[in-house]
Amino acid sequence: MRARTLAFLAVVMLLAACTQAADTTTAPTTDTGPATTADTGTATTADTGGATTTTADTGTEPSGGGLLGDIQSRGSLLCGVNETVPGFGFLNADGTRSGFDIDFCRAVAAAVLGDPEAVEYVPLDAQQRFTALASGEIDVLIRNTTFTATRDGGEGATFVTTTFYDGQGMMVFTDSGIGAMEDLANTAICVLSGTTTELNLATRFVDIPYTPLTFEDNGVLQPAFVSGQCDGWTSDKSQLAGIRSAFPADQGGPEALTILEETFSKEPLGPAVRDGDSQWAQVVDWVVNATILAEELGITSDNVDTFADTDNAEIRRLLGLEIESDDGTAVFDAGLGLEPGWAANVIASVGNYGEIFDRNVGPDTPLGLVRGVNDLWLNGGLLYSPPYR
Amino acid sequence: MIPSARVPFWRDQRVLRVAAQVVAALAVFFLLYVLWFNVTNNMRARGVRTDFNFLDQPFGVRIAGSDLRPTAPVRLALLNGIRNTFALAIVGLPLLTILGVLVGVGRLSTNWLVAKISSAYVEILRNLPPLLVVIFAFQAVILRLPAARNPITPFGWFVISNLEFHVPGFRAGDNYRPFMLVVLVAVLLGALLWWWRTRVHERTGTPHHRWLWSLGTIALVGTMAYLILGRPLTITLPQLEGRVVDGGYRGLGAFFAVVGALAFYTSSHVAEIVRGSILAVPKGQTEAASALALSGFQRLRFVVLPQAMRIALPPIINQYLNYVKNTSLAIAVGFAEVTLVAFQAIGNGQPAPQVVVLLMGSYLVFSLVISLLVNLYNRHLRIVAR
Repeated sequence: MRARTLAFLAVVMLLAACTQAADTTTAPTTDTGPATTADTGTATTADTGGATTTTADTGTEPSGGGLLGDIQSRGSLLCGVNETVPGFGFLNADGTRSGFDIDFCRAVAAAVLGDPEAVEYVPLDAQQRFTALASGEIDVLIRNTTFTATRDGGEGATFVTTTFYDGQGMMVFTDSGIGAMEDLANTAICVLSGTTTELNLATRFVDIPYTPLTFEDNGVLQPAFVSGQCDGWTSDKSQLAGIRSAFPADQGGPEALTILEETFSKEPLGPAVRDGDSQWAQVVDWVVNATILAEELGITSDNVDTFADTDNAEIRRLLGLEIESDDGTAVFDAGLGLEPGWAANVIASVGNYGEIFDRNVGPDTPLGLVRGVNDLWLNGGLLYSPPYR
Repeated sequence: MIPSARVPFWRDQRVLRVAAQVVAALAVFFLLYVLWFNVTNNMRARGVRTDFNFLDQPFGVRIAGSDLRPTAPVRLALLNGIRNTFALAIVGLPLLTILGVLVGVGRLSTNWLVAKISSAYVEILRNLPPLLVVIFAFQAVILRLPAARNPITPFGWFVISNLEFHVPGFRAGDNYRPFMLVVLVAVLLGALLWWWRTRVHERTGTPHHRWLWSLGTIALVGTMAYLILGRPLTITLPQLEGRVVDGGYRGLGAFFAVVGALAFYTSSHVAEIVRGSILAVPKGQTEAASALALSGFQRLRFVVLPQAMRIALPPIINQYLNYVKNTSLAIAVGFAEVTLVAFQAIGNGQPAPQVVVLLMGSYLVFSLVISLLVNLYNRHLRIVAR
């Protein structure tokens, strides 16, 4: 099954490669995307000439490939997601999708297309994801993907701001009596193949004999773990927490499982885009930053409409409200190629970072994760957005 | 032919034939060149490596059922995967052949129960997708066995859990190598005796007793060598010590799930081929055999099956190839055959196009070797015109 999928992907890549080659000769036509956004930009700010209030200046912006324009003319965002991790990317029984990563897909769609629902989700497993990204099957990969040097360099992916600082852990059955990694000597450990988790496991267990059982997705891994084929299940702690929270009650519920204390890797999870289109990378980057900045500024999905009269210049810039200028009023445009007010769309549809966190994985959800390092820098966490100006 | 009546070369059929071939070959080469050029160029433009140096990079992870360290190069990991695919083939192909022939013959049995059971076997298995059969075998059979933390030990000879099966095995002693050499010579000698007794039987009609001759020789030489060389081999039983099982041979549960599922699945196709081939043998052959007072088994063994196999072999090759290709489904249950290892490599940052090319190459070699071997056997079975 997977063999065929990958073979198919290989063919698609080949064809994509051919069409890409053809595209370079007709580059001017693909540039129409950014041009249209520039038009809408000028409509509201036609009478201004200030440097900081310029319209989207796509002429000077090196738009390598113009994926942003392609997405806007297509009218939907192709988002590569997971559908097996509760709280992060999960396909619910009723066919809807929910999760932390899904919300960031919606946030990007809200920023780029003004509609958080304009997302076409492409479910991917760990092994397919970079091939799918490189071949243009998806626009952005938001699938609990760890930012590493090889993936940045060798896989043709560009990572943007990390959305979730995670670390790898080990989950065991509570009644197994396993309390530390060393207790797992000579057992089998279940792990998803093609993940950084797999590599970290080999590193952490370099002196501990074990049998790795590698599976393609959690749907097959979970029965193997439940039946006791493997004694440990290793993954990012957030994923384990998600799986533990949804562990069926007839098998003992969440209490039957324990996540060991030790964290043995750094797993910065974040969106990734294809190499070679810096404009698109910047857009995705700033969508993430906007959610962090919104939390810092106290903007939430509930109060985002109440800032029309605020004096805070940064809020006015972020939300695309009129700002003071010499000749009348104008809106701030950072030149990202997005319509002014995009950040307001993002926050109105998915909320700020804190809301996204609390809704999907926070203390009141079955996962019950605390913010920890995923808190604002003001609160001693790692989230720190550059200023929006 | 009169020189003046020579056709000009552009209307000469012989010339045109060659020219057409050359043009076709050029077109194919051009197409391949364009594809290659496109792929390498675009990969380079995207900063993706196009070389095969990654084969020397460390693979980075362990593989279940092998002693490879995570520092072993990708090359060795892929070879390990190929070895595991080979193991699936070497165990599965004989199994599915035997099952297929039995069920195929069973469908034609005059015994109502045997015939119906065989029909049900074929109709159920052949109409299921192989992936489903593999996942069923894994989740509904293998995973139902006792958990790895408390395996069962029937008779003290086996250690069985849903992770691994352990069976008694041999352990090499001091003179292991010379002993194996002697055994090899004995086997060759046995084959030679077999051939000689067959010749004698064909020429003179005296009973051949070839089983007795060849196996007797092997057993005699083997036993003598065993005694003289001082126990070069010892039988070891798997011993359970905590979580470690020492001694004996081991096999991963997932391996048996894949072999079992695919052998059963493919055997249902082979059974139909065998049944069709038996029906294709003229009825007169059976009748003639009956007229010679051959028993039912003798009719099958000496008259019908030899002729049926001649018809069945070419389509059975296809089923063998299908089996080998279907072993890639082992990826669904986590058995580290070559596809899983290749995808693992891709997932861990090795370049996908090159790895997929290597993967396709390895399946191609597998398939070609199998067709070659079976075709050789097919030639051997052919009616020899005297």
